[in-house]
Amino acid sequence: MAKTANVPLPATGVIRVAENGAAHVEGFRCAACNAAFTEPTLACRACGEPVPPAPFRAAETGKLWTWSIVRRSYPGIDVPFVSAIVDLDDGLTVKGTLRDVDHDALAQGLAVRLVYDDAGGATDKDGTPYIGFHFVPAGGEQ
Amino acid sequence: MSDVYILGADMIAFGRYPDRSYYQLGAEAALLALADAGLGVRDMQAVYASSCFNAQSMLGQKVLKEIGQTGVPCINVSNACASGATAVREGWIGIKSGIYDAVLVIGAEKNPRGMLGGAPHDGPPPEGLFGSESMPAVFAEAGMVHASAYGTTIEQFAQVAVKNHHHATMNPKAAYRKETPLEMVLESEMIADPLTKLMCSANVDGAAALVLVSEKKAREMGVGRAVRIRASALTSDPYEPRNPVMFDANSVTRLAATQAYEMAGLGPDALDIVELHDCFATAEILHYENLGLCGEGEAGRLIDSGHTALGGKQPVNVSGGLLSKGHPIGATGVANIVEIVEHLRGEAGERQVEGARIGLAHVLGFGAASGIHILEKA
Repeated sequence: MAKTANVPLPATGVIRVAENGAAHVEGFRCAACNAAFTEPTLACRACGEPVPPAPFRAAETGKLWTWSIVRRSYPGIDVPFVSAIVDLDDGLTVKGTLRDVDHDALAQGLAVRLVYDDAGGATDKDGTPYIGFHFVPAGGEQ
Repeated sequence: MSDVYILGADMIAFGRYPDRSYYQLGAEAALLALADAGLGVRDMQAVYASSCFNAQSMLGQKVLKEIGQTGVPCINVSNACASGATAVREGWIGIKSGIYDAVLVIGAEKNPRGMLGGAPHDGPPPEGLFGSESMPAVFAEAGMVHASAYGTTIEQFAQVAVKNHHHATMNPKAAYRKETPLEMVLESEMIADPLTKLMCSANVDGAAALVLVSEKKAREMGVGRAVRIRASALTSDPYEPRNPVMFDANSVTRLAATQAYEMAGLGPDALDIVELHDCFATAEILHYENLGLCGEGEAGRLIDSGHTALGGKQPVNVSGGLLSKGHPIGATGVANIVEIVEHLRGEAGERQVEGARIGLAHVLGFGAASGIHILEKA
């Protein structure tokens, strides 16, 4: 992606950033079978329809499908954190970190909301900031 | 088409070999398997060599430079944790086709140290920012789906480690040969809930090899110790809605199991022994159902019942499994078959499954691939 001054860069592949800096998560949906994907492909993975699934703006609410509380990760990574697989309300599944959640409240079906963030304050080599996202419980701290 | 027989099968002890290369380990296993078959390198018409991390280095040719450069074709295979089974299946295809009467299959690996998983990315390292890509987290998440659906407990997942570590105490070639009672498994370092360190596979080096022959060659050599391959199945992951955002260990294995049972003309009830891909304790629970050893949601009860322990009706991972025998990735799918062969021959010593006639070996590669072989005493 070409860089524009002061516009943050997407910290992960599913994020799109507009010229005004607004971010959204983009999915791709097959017109033939309605399956949704996080990556653009030449044809549909699910049904094989040889037409690229079309981009759409993903929902920012969803439900927790599964998770793990990660207590040991690669060297230098702060732990613990909750690694979460979230089914967004429009059928796209996204992986992210679930923050501000009481570990005892973790359960399949927990309603969550996607929140954009600064990707831990990361910048690229030119100092351009990144924009990322995480999840929080939809009802606030559980 | 000719039936395919395993005439030679052996492996080196799994562990750490800091002073040896992966191809030297492979060469050692190859010589063991050739000796077991009563054949020499000059009898081998092709070499199928598996290594997840080093197939591109011409592993097969490197092994032949150690044991004899006969000029035969070498096929070097990498297919994640299913690399070994993939090489076996390619060898099986070579014999089935009628082109070869005897081939050598080798799996050899020196694993990288530390926690495996992750891949290069643009932007900041995703670990922790966007969940976890570590293998323990991925298989923890898969286990939590089972726990959410069926109430499977951490104790039931942990019992897999208790069982497989116990089995390994009877296997002189296992990397870790120590009893780990339930309390010890539960109290070991929590890596990613519900997986403690003792519920994660042992990251070690190793090599295993097989000599596959045609029916004609088996008869010529005498079928006494030969083992017949009744099914060889290899699948890639079919579409599932959450995959690959969430790794799906299940559908790829179920597809391979269906194909293997159909090819063998038998069902899971016929199995006397199973070596399945227990890369993490959660995975073994999932694969009980994926392989049809029990019904949906019954895997927690199956481990509790003792059905899959040595002495039970269908012992699983009597070798110690990946959890304690170890998981040198490219060797794993060959070593699983070596274990089944030893039992079908009645040569497994202290851990022998009495009267074993039919066994299944399964592996699962991340990304994904599943290989299943069903073997029968000839």
